[in-house]
Order: sequence, then structure tokens, then C-alpha cells
Amino acid sequence: MTHLNAVTLFIVSAALVIVTYIGFASARWRPAEDPMQLNEWGLGGRGFGTFVSWFLLGGDIYTAYAFIAVPALVYATGAAGFYALSYTIMVYPIAFVFAPRLWSVARARGYVSPGEFVRGRYGSQGLGLAVAVTGILATMPYIALQLVGIESVLTVLGIGGTSGNAFVRDLPLTIAFAVLAVYTYLAGLRAPALIAFVKDTLVYVTVIVAIIYIPGKLGGWAHIFGTASTQLNTVNPATGKPHGSIVLLPAGEWAYATLALGSALALFVYPHTTTGVFAAKRRNVIRRNMAMLPAYSLVLGLIALFGYMARAVPAVNAGVKAGGGNAQLSVPLLFAHMFPSWFAGVADAAILVGALVPAAIMSIAAANLFTRTIYKELLKPDATPAQETRMARLASLVMKIGALGFALELNRTFSINLQLLGGVWILQTFPAIVISLYTRWFHRAALIIGWAVAMVYGTVQAYRTPGGGQAHFGASTAPVFGHVTYIAIAALVLNLVVAAVLTLVFRLVGLQDGYDATKPSDYVADPVTLPVAAGPSARRRAAGQTAGGQTEGAAAGKAGPTAGLARESGPAPAPRIPD
Amino acid sequence: MAKPAGLGRSPATWGTVAILLIAAVAGALWVPIYARSLPKLGPFPFFYWFQFIWVPLTAALCWICYLLLRSKRTAGSQSADGGGAVK
Repeated sequence: MTHLNAVTLFIVSAALVIVTYIGFASARWRPAEDPMQLNEWGLGGRGFGTFVSWFLLGGDIYTAYAFIAVPALVYATGAAGFYALSYTIMVYPIAFVFAPRLWSVARARGYVSPGEFVRGRYGSQGLGLAVAVTGILATMPYIALQLVGIESVLTVLGIGGTSGNAFVRDLPLTIAFAVLAVYTYLAGLRAPALIAFVKDTLVYVTVIVAIIYIPGKLGGWAHIFGTASTQLNTVNPATGKPHGSIVLLPAGEWAYATLALGSALALFVYPHTTTGVFAAKRRNVIRRNMAMLPAYSLVLGLIALFGYMARAVPAVNAGVKAGGGNAQLSVPLLFAHMFPSWFAGVADAAILVGALVPAAIMSIAAANLFTRTIYKELLKPDATPAQETRMARLASLVMKIGALGFALELNRTFSINLQLLGGVWILQTFPAIVISLYTRWFHRAALIIGWAVAMVYGTVQAYRTPGGGQAHFGASTAPVFGHVTYIAIAALVLNLVVAAVLTLVFRLVGLQDGYDATKPSDYVADPVTLPVAAGPSARRRAAGQTAGGQTEGAAAGKAGPTAGLARESGPAPAPRIPD
Repeated sequence: MAKPAGLGRSPATWGTVAILLIAAVAGALWVPIYARSLPKLGPFPFFYWFQFIWVPLTAALCWICYLLLRSKRTAGSQSADGGGAVK
């Protein structure tokens, strides 16, 4: 599997060159009048319509890691891995309910990250900080995992990966990432938005061709399911039980449902997803996309089936075994063995570019969180929009270097463990972000304590779960009251119970509540973004207003284009309240 | 205090939207209804083809909800934001 195929390599390199060109060119796409506003660099000017948003969100949610890991899970365990399809079915009806409100309040108040919303909603720096730190912590390993996706492809291509020289081994990955870092630094969210077009075209082409072409070569679906079923039913010597089954067993149903639900609830509070939502032009863009994004879920479901196809190819099974039982290699190996080399190049390019898009968005999202909730809130409250933008660019670089360090220095297992934990952690911000869109019933201090308790519980529970040959972080599910449950869901229930009980206690003792900087009308606001700003003087006026502490956003949303601009140019600073 | 303008649609509309969305989620969440291999659709066990059909069905339900919620908002941002200013 280490032979270098020149044709495949050429196609992959060509795709990367094209993507790099687009990345740099995107800085001039829909040029901003003042690029040094954070919502220009960090949110692409909040001007993406239905079409661009669909590509951006699709490119963002369906990452290369998912394209590698989901079929790998199906390859290794069978039907249990299909929870990813169930999860991407239910995520859109759920997000349909709250994502438009989140968009509206962010748009009306000029928020670029969920941390700011929580801070403004509760007048609580602590809660905003908790949300921001959780978001950054959960995002870092997620970026690192995109690199793991790239590595799987490079390993099968025969470059990097296998060389004894550490420098040579890491060079391709480092170069790919350095180039990504530079154009993200320059163009911000515009770069992944444009590259997403390439990514998704490659992905759709690959999947459609694969699903038509491969089963025919393998003797049909009946044979694929039959082979997979037979192989999964063989006993795993490590556990003494079968590897899995192609139809979910009753014992696995609760885990399947909680994994799907927990992942669905978590997805739209992940910073990279909220970034994609905030970048939309109008409120209806979000709702329309909830009806259009399932197209990607269909693709994900088909990709999951690749896991079974890989089972039916003896050479893939041998390759996985040779790679130390690493099921993550199954899909790249499947491509290498089934496709002619030029098309294997297209498929590998789909995975590579599919890693670059989310990695860029994630680093931007984490940078936005850091800049508004930590830098501006704690370190430099009087930062100008230009200083914010510079800080965010720098933060995105740091985030990528950190992720590269993660991927190169720590072993793959550690990244995957952290990603597992990231999912558990991020769901604990759900009460503060999503429930707060509807009610301020919870006390801010109760929410912080609920979050902290759930974070500790989730981390400890995940640590104590053995599985897959590991003593710790072996699985994302653990028995809770006799049912094997997704740890994140168990932690969320604990989170809500603690927060509810403490809210009652705090209200009883009359603990002071924070000031709410948002208004009911913010949550349904739908201001129009003007493609061309009214002129530099309007920008300056707007900046002057916000600096002067103009908080009530003058008839929010109603006042039309100028008011929209004023609020867009910078967030209305939340009044400082004794915290 | 005036109700937020976004809630200005009839309870019947909201009820319909709620039922459609809950149905979409429930179909995927209630695993026992599809964790079986029969009836097969060609070579595909029920477990797979049910979920694959549920994907476009969910998309259609979300689209219907979008149309239901959009119809009363032909005036665009004006009617959506008016409530906040009037209060």
C-alpha cells in the first residue's frame, strides 16, 4: 500500500493547487468596504444567501473526518455506526426551531460568537467565558482530527506517513496546513466559503460514482451485505463477542438513539456551525437551508455504506490488518483498490479538500470566540474593530499551529479521545445558548454550576470507560442506571437538574440576577444587509455611536438600512453591571 | 408589553409546524421501529432503507414548515421587527 501512484498523486496535487488559488483569490470576492471589521473577516460580511450558505454549512458540518470515521465505524461495528445518519436526520428539524432565533439575536446585536450572546443575555462574564472556553476546547481536537483525515489519505497515497525521517514524514501535512493558514489569515470566512464549492462538487461526484460503480464490481448489494454480515458475526478474540451486526440489536438501541440525539443537539452549538449560521444574510436563509442540507445527509449515509463495501474487498481487509487494525484506512484503501488511479485521485482530493474547509471554519470560529469573549471582554475592552480583526487573524493562526502540534506530536488515539470529550463538553453549553433563546428562567450562577458539574461528570465518566482495547476513553457510551447511554446526554440531564434546583435556591435566597442586554424583538429581527455600505462616514458615525455606549439600538431592526449598519459595525456594548 | 412580532401567526400554524417537526425527529429517534431487517427493499434491510427514505422526508417536512412560517411574512423585515418598536 506504500507504492506511489503518479497519476493519483498528480490529480491530488492539481486539486490542492486549484484550491490554494481560490483561497487567495477569495480575498477579493465580494470585497468589503472596510475589511478590518470582525464581521467581515470572521463572518464574510454576513452576506451569504441560501446557495452559498448551503455550500458553506454543508462543507462545515460534513467534515473529512466524518467521511473517514463514519465508514470506519460501520466497517468495524456494523449497524451501530449508522447512528450518524440518524443524527443528521434529526438535527435539521431541531435546528429549524432555534437556529433562526440565534441568527436574529446575533444579527440584531452584532454578536459574532455564541459566547457574546450568553454574556449579553445574562450580563455574566463568567457564563460567557465558560461558553467560549468550552467552544475553543471542543474545537481544537476537531481541527486536529481533520489532519488525521488528511493523514489517512497520505498514508494510502504512500507519501509522508511511512517515512522513517520525522521531518519528511510530516512535511506534506505541514505544507498543506501552512498554505491553508495563510489564505485563511488573509481572506477569513470567504476562503472556506468559496473552497466549499470545490469540496462539495468533488464529494458529490465521488460518492455518486462510487455508489453506482463499486457494487457492480463487487457482485451487487446482496453480496456486500452478506459478506459484511458474515465477517461482523465472527467472534472478536479481544472481547469474545461478535464484532457487530448489520441490523441493530435491541441491546444497542438506547445507545444508538442517545448518540444520535446528543450529537444532533450539540451540532448547532459548536462554534464552527454557529459561525456558518451567523454568516447568513437573512433569517429565511437558515430555514431554507434546514430543508436543503439533508441532501448532504443522504451523501453521508451512502458514505457510511462504503464501510460494508470495504468489507467485501479482501485486499482492503488485508490493508487494514497491515495498518495495525486501523479501520480509518478502509475508505482510502477502498478507493485505491476499486477505482482507476485517476479517479482515486479525485476521491482522495475530495477527502483532502474536505478536511481543509472545516479546519478553516473551525479556526475562524474559535478565533471569533476568543476575540470577542476573552480578548475584548477581559484583556482589552476598548479594542477597535481593526484591533479585533488583527487579534482574530492571529488567533486563527495560533489555533491551527496548535492543532498541527496536536496531530503531529500526540498520537492519533489522543486526538480521537479529545474529540469524543469535545462532543460531551460542547453539549453542556446547550442550556446557556439554546434554552436562553426562549427563557431567562435559569439563574446565571445556576447555569455556571450546572455546566461545571456536567463537565466534570462527563470527563470522568469518559475517562472511566474502557473499550476498543483501551482502558480509558474507550467509548462515548457508558451504562447509566442500567442503560448504555451517550455520556453527553447523561451529563446534559445532570446539568439541567443541577441548574434547575440551584435556580430555585438562588431565587429563594434572592441572589442578584444579571442584566439582559437583549430585547424580545431581537429574537425575531430580520434586518436587511445592504451589499454596499452607505459610505465611510456612516461607518464612522456608527463606530462613534457604539463607542459612546449607545446600547438600546434605536428601535432595533425597524429603522432600516442605516440602523442595520450601525449595529453591524460593532456590537452594542453590554452595559457593565456588577457581576 | 407587546408580544414579539414573530409569534404573530395563528396557533393552528404553530401547532402544525410543531407536529411536523416532532414527527420528523421521532421517526429517527424511535429506534425500535426501524431496528429490524424485514421487510427488505431489494437487497437492503429495512434498517437502511427506512433511514434513507426518512432523510428526504425530513427535508420535505422542514420545507413545508418553512413555507407555513413564511407565508404570513410577505412584508419581510418590516412586519418581523415592527413588534419591538411598537411596544
